[in-house]
Parts: sequence; C-alpha cells; structure tokens
Amino acid sequence: MTKSTKDELLNRLKDAQTGKIPARIDLPPPFENALSKEELIEKFTNKLIEQEGVVYRTNNQTGTLEKLAQILAQEGVKKAMAAEDDVVKPLDLPAWGKHQGIEITTQFDYKNRESFKESIFNQVDAGITGADFAIAESGTLALVHDKYQARLISLAPILHIAVVPVERVVPVYESVTEKVYQGDNTPSQLTLITGPSMTADIQGIMFKGMHGPRRLIVILMD
Amino acid sequence: MEIKTEQFVETAKRELKNPNSRIFLNLLPVVLSSLRELAMETFPDPDAAQEMGGIIRGEALARLPELLETFEKNASAAGAKIYWAKDSQAANEYILNLVLENQAGYITKGKSMVTEEMGLNELMIKNGIEVWETDLGEFIAQLLARPPFHIVGPAVNVPVDQIRDVFMEKIGLDKPTTDPVELGYAARRFLRDKFHEMKIGVTGVNFAVAETGTIINVENEGNIRFNKSSPKIQVSVMTIEKVIPDMKDAMHLLRLLCRNCTGQHIGSYVTMDTGPKKEDEIDGPEELHIIILDNGRSQIFQDTQTREVLRCIRCGGCLNICPVYGMIGGYPYGWAYSGPMGQLLAPLLLGLNRCHDHIWACTSCQACKVNCPAGIDHPGLLLYLRNKEVEGDSSLKAVPPAWTESLSYKVFSRIASNPMLWRLTSKLMRPVINRGAKDGKLKKGPGPLADWLKGRDFPEMPEKTFHERWSELKRS
Repeated sequence: MTKSTKDELLNRLKDAQTGKIPARIDLPPPFENALSKEELIEKFTNKLIEQEGVVYRTNNQTGTLEKLAQILAQEGVKKAMAAEDDVVKPLDLPAWGKHQGIEITTQFDYKNRESFKESIFNQVDAGITGADFAIAESGTLALVHDKYQARLISLAPILHIAVVPVERVVPVYESVTEKVYQGDNTPSQLTLITGPSMTADIQGIMFKGMHGPRRLIVILMD
Repeated sequence: MEIKTEQFVETAKRELKNPNSRIFLNLLPVVLSSLRELAMETFPDPDAAQEMGGIIRGEALARLPELLETFEKNASAAGAKIYWAKDSQAANEYILNLVLENQAGYITKGKSMVTEEMGLNELMIKNGIEVWETDLGEFIAQLLARPPFHIVGPAVNVPVDQIRDVFMEKIGLDKPTTDPVELGYAARRFLRDKFHEMKIGVTGVNFAVAETGTIINVENEGNIRFNKSSPKIQVSVMTIEKVIPDMKDAMHLLRLLCRNCTGQHIGSYVTMDTGPKKEDEIDGPEELHIIILDNGRSQIFQDTQTREVLRCIRCGGCLNICPVYGMIGGYPYGWAYSGPMGQLLAPLLLGLNRCHDHIWACTSCQACKVNCPAGIDHPGLLLYLRNKEVEGDSSLKAVPPAWTESLSYKVFSRIASNPMLWRLTSKLMRPVINRGAKDGKLKKGPGPLADWLKGRDFPEMPEKTFHERWSELKRS
C-alpha cells in the first residue's frame, strides 16, 4: 500500500516538467569568523544574557564547584539530577552533593525509564549538564544527546545549569553541524538551547518557564 | 477545526469591528516587522542572505523527487520508520492505528500547521481519543474551538478574562486570575502531567535534511522537546516540500526562518533528530515514525507556476507586512493558513470553489514578495489564480464568473478596441453614468457597476472627451 503510494508520488514528481536549479551565490563570511577566542566568549555571553540567560565564568573545577554551590543555595535547590557527560562527570557531583547537603542523582541511579521520568518530572529542582558546544553567534548551547546526556535533564526541571569549558565556544551553527554530522556516528538528537523556555502567547506578554526551565544558568569554565 | 474558508467576507466584516483583534492588529504586525528588520541586519549582507533563501528553496524543489528518496534512505538507515501518505485520511488513519495498537488513550501535539490541515484532532476525537495541543496559543485556541489568529500567536488576541473562564471550565483552574503569567503557569501545570504520562507525541517538521536523514523543529516553549523526549513513540508529519539538500542549507534557512518569523536570531529550542533514540539511551522515542504527506502537493507541483507556492517555509513574515491581514487578522481565512501564504495555499489545497475571496483579497502591493525569504511572488501567483478562475480551470475546481459578467466584459472590450464605437458610446453613456455622480465622484452606477464603484473612487465623466477638446483646441 505505502510502497505504491511512494512510487506513484515520486513518479508524478519525476514526470512533471523539471525546474532549473538556480545558481548559488557567494555570501560574505559571518562576522563571528573574524573574532578572537576572547571576543567569541564575550559575544556568546552577551547574546545569552539578551535572552535572560545568566552567565558566570570560573577559572577551574574548584571555582566551578564553588559557583555551583552558591547557585544551588541561592535557588533553594534540595534535589538535582546531573548528566554523565564528559564535562559534568569528572566533577563527581553525587559525591560532592553529599557534602553540600544536596541530593544529586544521575540517570544511572534509576532502574528504568519510568522511575527516571518520575524523578526528573516531579522530584528534582534542577538539571545540571555539560554542553558540547557554545555558539557565539546567538548565545546558544549545543547538546549532543546520547547515553550520557539524557534529553529530559535539560528540559523538565525548572532550573537548568550548564557547565561549558571555554574552549568549546565556537563561532556559528555550522561550526557545530560540520563536526557532529561528519562520519557515521550521528547522534539521535542534537539540541540547540538559547535561553530559558518562553512564550508570549497570551496578550503578547513574554514570560519564561512555559514548559521547560524558567532559568538557564551557564558556568563558563577556563 | 472546521473549514470556514467560504465565510471570508462575513468574518472579515465582523473582525473589522472586533476591538480585541484591532488592538493586536495595530501592534503585532508592526512590532514583528521592525524586529525582523533589526534581526536581518545581523547578516553581513542581508539582501544576499535573503536571496540565498530563495536559491536554496528553488534548488530543493528542482531536485524534489531525488531529495525525497535520499532523505528516506538516510532516515531509514538511522532507524526511522517512513510512511508515505497520499492524503490526510491516510496520514490520520496511520496515526489512529498507532494510538489504538499502543492503547495510548491520548496524544499530545507540538505546534504543527500540517496536522491542522489534516484535521487530525477531529478524527481522534471521533474515535474517542483525546488530543492535547501543547503550544500555549494552540492550547487556548483548541479550548475555545477557534482557528489560529496568527501563525505565531494563534490566540494572542484572546482577552485574559476569556482565557480565565475557559481554563476554569475545562482545565480546573481553581483560583480565578487574569494575570497572563499565572494563566500560563496554570497551562504548564496541566500539560506537564500529560507530558509525563504520554505514550505518543505528534509533531510537525520545519526542515528535513536529505543528506543526513534528519528532521528539524524550531520552537520557544519546549513543548516540542517534550513530545520528542518523553514518549516511547514519536510521530513527525512532514509534507513533501519540507526536504532540503544538506545541513549547511538547513542552518541558513534556520536563521532566515527565525528572523522573518519573530525577529529572533534563533528560537529557544531547535531539535534535530536522526532516527529514534539509541538502545542505551534512557529517554527519547523507541520508535520514530516520519509521515511524508502529499495531500495534493504533487498536483500543485505539476504546474511550474503553482509549484512556486511549495517554496514556503511558514515563517509568517508575509502576514506581518500584509495590509489586508493587518486589517482583518487571521480568522477570515478560515483555516490553518492565513495571510498571503494562506491565500495561495488554501485555494490550491481546497479548490478555488471554496476559496474564491482568498485570491481577490490582495492589493498587489508586493510587500509580501519583497519580504519573502523563500523567493515567492505571492501577488503574481494570485493574479495567475484569478486568471485560472476566470477561465474556469477544472483542475483547480474554479467556478467561472456568471455569464452576464463575461458577456459585459466581452462587449466592453469590443467597444473599447474600436475608436469609432468608443467615441460614440462614451457620448451616449455619459449622461447615464453621470447620473450617479456626487461632488465630481461617481458614487452609484447603473446595474452591476453599482457594486464595482463601491470600493473605487472614480471621477465623473467630463463634459467633453479628450478628443473633443483636442479638435476644438486645434481649430482655435
């Protein structure tokens, strides 16, 4: 059934008069390509702040943990879930959390999808993740989802904290897609995040935290 | 959603007097258009960037069958299940079967225009399946059973007290409030449980990348992300023209889409899915179904003129700049698609017989064409469709004008193309026509001219024609 629909459709398209492929034009390179590393970081920061994201910068892992402790205290977080990606895992947040009096779990603490979902939807106050890239162009985080980077951690809790090593700041979207979509190891999902979840659907009044996080805090780590 | 395209004029008349719509029509298009202008300046060469959008869309259509095959091959290789649907019915039934097989009970939808085109909600409800729109604007429009007012703000014109009342009646809002933020959070709480327990999530698609078999969605609220993260089954519906060559093109169109839509540089969330989740991932869909829907588009594709409509990327930029939309808003268009793009899509998808007013509600000012990031000449195509209607083109289900109208044009053209006849008739008709004149303007006319003159400032016929004056001047 579906096979014949497909053939019928494609044949109809192929039988139609073919259109001309328009010639491509050369676009000037994006402004971001000319920026230095520090300028890229500055642009990323400013762009994300425009979207009401909060950005901190720290010098090392110790500084990051100090900042994190401060944020969690300020935001009144009692329970959080952390990803297991290559930025956050080395911080060993579950063990660190115990000293801080904050319960931090990872997805591997849950025996199945259901218990993981119950926790991320209804129990934790914050999701903590790394990021694979930070894009200067628009203050955007790029998260490659895989076994170590569950999708809901950066989405379901009301607060999302992302830790990003400064060397991961790149100029434009293409800097990300060229790396992610080369070779065979294509991720099931790549997510670009620019600021907290938002809407302006009632009377054009904009507010944050429609379905996803109300707050997005990024710690840029040197 | 009930299709009300035939009620264009009466809805437009009502909307012209609707103060709630007026507030937003005086504001929204202006604000969005100026945000768009600012956002376009972030391109090193905004005009070239816009032109490139048209080039990419042009190439995508020129290579459409080939790109669809490549997309299917790559998406299937990544584990997605592809279903080719001839029409809405086939697509709806495919989704219904999935719901029944998996005893899903309800489905949630990310904002998608195509599922509105399909009438998916109606079929689900008829079969006892609940459907929840999860975009806040669509959610409110659904509760109130209204068509979208604007492609980006489907319910932006609805007053807060109406939202309060419908929330209290239908989603158990317990404390009455008219604070937009509080109302938003009430919807968040209500839909959150739906997101948690959902088995099937349905989304549309903004771009389908042939090179990688990836589907891309752009949003601000996070509802589409939930639809792609929480359920075990994800169904994403794309129409055939959504496919584009490669990821580089996708990123360029993404920039153009967001800038032309809301004046944002990028939506809060962009998700790019290649196949379902991998075995070892804890969330994301175990099954990713991609429905490739035709629903008459391969027919539209046959004519190289109407084919141009398929360039559209649904940014809504043409709505914000359109002087007609700016007066009447989205309701008169009576369906999922409004503004200039709706004036083209609705007649082509539903037939000219159901959308007569759509092709005439245009001043040919060209603003939409100038703004379009996909290179569509809306006014030119509307003229083309008007021509088709007058010809009574059966493939577009055109109803030609009454024979009296055709006859009067024939008579007129006969007279107007013969100088002798023309001079004689003008002389004879002058007193008849000028009978309806007031302050030098024709207000009323004889017979069918009366309607024609209603919306036009036509000067009274002068006492002497140019030729009469010319020969008098020469004589003196």
